[in-house]
Amino acid sequence: MNVLKQHAKKQKATRSLLIVSSLLLGITVIAQALFFVSIVDQIFLKGASFESIIPDLIGLLFVLVARSALTYWNGRAGVKMASRVKEYFRSQLVYKFSKNPLQTSMEGQSGQKVSTVLDAVDEIDGYFSQYIPQVIQTSIVPVMILVVVSMEHIYSGIIMMITAPFIPLFYIIIGIMTKKKSEEQLDKMAVFSGRFLDTLQGLSTLKLFGRSRQQKELIEKSSLDFRDSTMEVLKIAFVSSLMLELISMLSIGLIALEVGLRLVLFQSITFSTAFFVLILAPEFYLFLKNLGQAFHTGRGSMGAAQKIAEALNTEDREVEWGDTSLGRMDVPPHIQLQNVHFAYDAEGFALNGIQAEIPPYSQTAIVGKSGSGKTTLLHVLAGLLPLSQGSVYVDGLARCDLKEEQWFDTVSYISQNPFLFSGTIAENIAVGKKGEVSRESVEQAAIKAGIAPLVESLENGYDTIVGEGGRGLSGGEKQRVAIARAFLKQPSIILFDEPTTGLDLQTEQILQSSIQELSQSATIITVAHRLHTIKHADQILYMDHGEIVQKGTHLELEENNPFYRAMVKTQQGGMAK
Amino acid sequence: MNELRAVMKDMMVEKRDIYLSVLFGFLAGITAVALFASSGYLISKAALLPPIYTLSLMIAFLKIMGFARAFGRYLERLYSHRATFTMLSELRVNFYEKLEPLAPTIFQKYKSGDLLSRIVGDIDRLQNFFLRVYYPPIVLGFIFLATIFFTVFYSVTVAILLLVGLFVTGFLLPAWFAYKQRRIETRLREERGSLSSEVTEFLYGFMDLKLYQQLGTKKKELEQASARYIDEQEKEGKMATYHQSMNSMVTLLVSWLVIAFGAYLVSNNELDGVFLAMLIMISLTVFENAVPMALVPAHFEDSRRAAKRLHEVVQDEPVKVEPTKSLPVNKPFSLTMKSVSFAFPGEERTSLENVDLHIPAGSKTAIIGASGSGKSTLFQLLLKFYNPTSGTILYDEISQDAYSQEDIWARTNVVQQENHYFYGSLRDNLLLAKERATDEELHEVLEQVHMQDFDLNQTILEKGDNLSGGEKQRLAIARALLKKERLWLLDEPTSSLDAVTEQAVYEHVFHQAKDDTLILISHRLTGLEYMDQIIVFDQGEIVESGSYQELLNLEGYFYRMKQIEKEVLV
Repeated sequence: MNVLKQHAKKQKATRSLLIVSSLLLGITVIAQALFFVSIVDQIFLKGASFESIIPDLIGLLFVLVARSALTYWNGRAGVKMASRVKEYFRSQLVYKFSKNPLQTSMEGQSGQKVSTVLDAVDEIDGYFSQYIPQVIQTSIVPVMILVVVSMEHIYSGIIMMITAPFIPLFYIIIGIMTKKKSEEQLDKMAVFSGRFLDTLQGLSTLKLFGRSRQQKELIEKSSLDFRDSTMEVLKIAFVSSLMLELISMLSIGLIALEVGLRLVLFQSITFSTAFFVLILAPEFYLFLKNLGQAFHTGRGSMGAAQKIAEALNTEDREVEWGDTSLGRMDVPPHIQLQNVHFAYDAEGFALNGIQAEIPPYSQTAIVGKSGSGKTTLLHVLAGLLPLSQGSVYVDGLARCDLKEEQWFDTVSYISQNPFLFSGTIAENIAVGKKGEVSRESVEQAAIKAGIAPLVESLENGYDTIVGEGGRGLSGGEKQRVAIARAFLKQPSIILFDEPTTGLDLQTEQILQSSIQELSQSATIITVAHRLHTIKHADQILYMDHGEIVQKGTHLELEENNPFYRAMVKTQQGGMAK
Repeated sequence: MNELRAVMKDMMVEKRDIYLSVLFGFLAGITAVALFASSGYLISKAALLPPIYTLSLMIAFLKIMGFARAFGRYLERLYSHRATFTMLSELRVNFYEKLEPLAPTIFQKYKSGDLLSRIVGDIDRLQNFFLRVYYPPIVLGFIFLATIFFTVFYSVTVAILLLVGLFVTGFLLPAWFAYKQRRIETRLREERGSLSSEVTEFLYGFMDLKLYQQLGTKKKELEQASARYIDEQEKEGKMATYHQSMNSMVTLLVSWLVIAFGAYLVSNNELDGVFLAMLIMISLTVFENAVPMALVPAHFEDSRRAAKRLHEVVQDEPVKVEPTKSLPVNKPFSLTMKSVSFAFPGEERTSLENVDLHIPAGSKTAIIGASGSGKSTLFQLLLKFYNPTSGTILYDEISQDAYSQEDIWARTNVVQQENHYFYGSLRDNLLLAKERATDEELHEVLEQVHMQDFDLNQTILEKGDNLSGGEKQRLAIARALLKKERLWLLDEPTSSLDAVTEQAVYEHVFHQAKDDTLILISHRLTGLEYMDQIIVFDQGEIVESGSYQELLNLEGYFYRMKQIEKEVLV
């Protein structure tokens, strides 16, 4: 609520525009009544000629057209305001997410974030395009009507004044009375649509067990139960609008009775006054009732606004960068981690006191049980996560003083599940390098990464569309695309998250030989799952519970560390007898 | 249009509620007209100083109309919504009936789970069809007919004006709007689709974008896509406002014509002046019912699309083959594939290429290979989810064509990679496999899969969301153990279990399957020493097959995979 309100207040220009057009709308509503009354009065009571009312008719025509134009204008302003706000919130969210370093480690939440950026932003539309304009209209037009009616005939004005508050009052009372009940029903409704989906999703399982036919009755029964509980909620809503209808009907009736009596019994008012009041009274209550409807729309937006506010208000630290340049770019830098700490949040997983040296052209293997912090350390090394304490030194310079761009120019990261963007295979490989990349160099990289034969076997070759909506690539094929990206980039530091499961033989071979080739010109840091990699490493960082427990070569560790020894030995096995 | 006709057919089940909604809708509308007409008349009459009793009568009439209108509206809403939700239930059941024979093949066609949630959404969306498209025009028609009929007694001209107004606001304008609506809807959907994929790429590909320093570019692209989408939304919003304002302007213009002509007629003494106010009030009120007509095209289009999508999903006719044979009951049988090739519908690349294999009755076979090498596809063919593109599959030397899908499924214990669990108790989820199993039997299988601590009454959430991966796999095995058929198809059934549990569970499975035919897709190469046959797949082809020792002696693909596995530390 607050986020939206704050934002609505910021839209000063649109608000003033809406206020002006609502004032004008009020004038047309009143003028319309005046003209109608005047024409009927002249023709019916005063026996005037048709010619004499022509100016009135023209005036009325003008007013009617103006009224429609103003309604359109109001709606349009609301729609435009909603557009601006949506654009603002969406880019704020994207900005926020792009600055959030933890993004990398929270893939699980990506789905939810997608829905926030897409749907939640769309849902706030109603608040700005309907609720706000209606609130402004309702706070202006009925007041104008009330003033004019009171000036013309004070008693009708008094009836309006007394009865009007009952409409919002009823909304509030009914709202309070039924809140709990409707929330219960809403829960039921959510559960129901979940169930139907559940049944559809499990249809294969049902069929394999020969149980799908029986589900039909179940769907029918729960569907009807759903109807009944929905009707419970709706009945409440309908009763409340019945009450409102009755209030406004009774009020209009009361006004009609009052002016009728005065006209006939007391003859204290004229026909034109009575008719005027009678035309304006329904308009008065209509505007009040419309607010109630708009309020429902507005309330729907508030949940969405809450979601957006939560996303925007989370606090996160950014990875810091400076503007110092590295001295040499042609050889891999010397990397040193000094007392590095990192924590995802206050409690939970953390890296503690990481100390390590990684000389140029060396090969480092990070090993440890799953959950020991291997991948997190790799992310820290890559410069994707902010340190909570300690420093990473690159050629003796603190990394937080380096230019971000220069650092990422030197690093390649080959993850277990590289992301393919929707586009051609060539484009996906070219992502590896900034700027213009020739087709020739892309093909060279593809050959080195051993993916060229596969690509060439496709009908569209390097122009085959992959990624979302395109052809799917298998895990091994994706890895090879990532390797091709690295060959194209020629980085001096390669971070490699080795696959945990066996890939096909070809990809396994390519991975090994490619990393071998890349290591000629780069430092390699691997989260290692292959004994081969570990044995060939210059140093092994053995991790447990977010700390490096031991460093050394394979032989050293095997000698001194019983846990390491056990880990290497345990080739778990045995099954069918 | 055809699709909506089917929806209408489902709708007509609730005839009574539909009639009642039309009746009360008409009542609510016509009483409003009567109410305002009489108040106009009342005022005019009052101005002429009539005897007081006529006034009291009029006022009483006014009150009754007021109440009748409010209650009419209430009842209309009640019945129309009841009808709608009954109709939705009917739609769901009908849709399920059509979808059921097409499963599970149809789910391969639409791999993503969100297709299903879209289906559910589409069915819900159809509630607008009755509420906002179907019956309001009928009600509107009746109200106008009655009003025009009444008006004819006072002024034919005004009646004709109302008729023209009805035609323009109720039909002509909506039809024109509908035409415009269609074009903008398509673009809106396209823009939303492109924004959605930009956002998805931005968030899911975040790490790669960051590392390749493409985050800025992507962000810009995303913002542009958002701007284009919002632009289309704005156009649509403006158009909707335009349509509504346009429609209400036309209704106001009709009222203007009514007053102009009415005034003219009165001044020429062709109409009694006392009715003028009444006619104006009639015109102003009756057209209030026509304003929502401007939104009918949008809802119509929306319903049409929803109905079309639903229709498209289930339009495939299920292939019904009359089985000529049935599989042996309680007796293991053999499986054979003869030069089987297969490509998924709509894909050029074959998933299986020239596969020949024979699995003797009662033998144990392991299938291995990298992910994507065609192992699971093999199972889908054995289960007759698909027919091979070429080649034949035989059960006990008789072609698969002779058996029905249902028969094959009924004779097989299947554990898939993803197994579904329904909202309900653990007991219900197990009883799927054997309807009349006693609690003792259930406890026994739970013990066999090392889940003896689980309460049969425990609630399982949709998709088994409150179970771990290992628990889901063990429950799937428990179902297979319960089913006690003589063919086992197990697709990586223990990939989430630790070695000790895996070992224990397999012991029970192999004990029960001692004399059965069993095929196991294995994610590990260890423990395959005891299988009668190991078949190695690579890129849809069988590269090797034989016993464990034979394959090791061969020093081929399996041998090298084995070497790699020895290398892998998890």
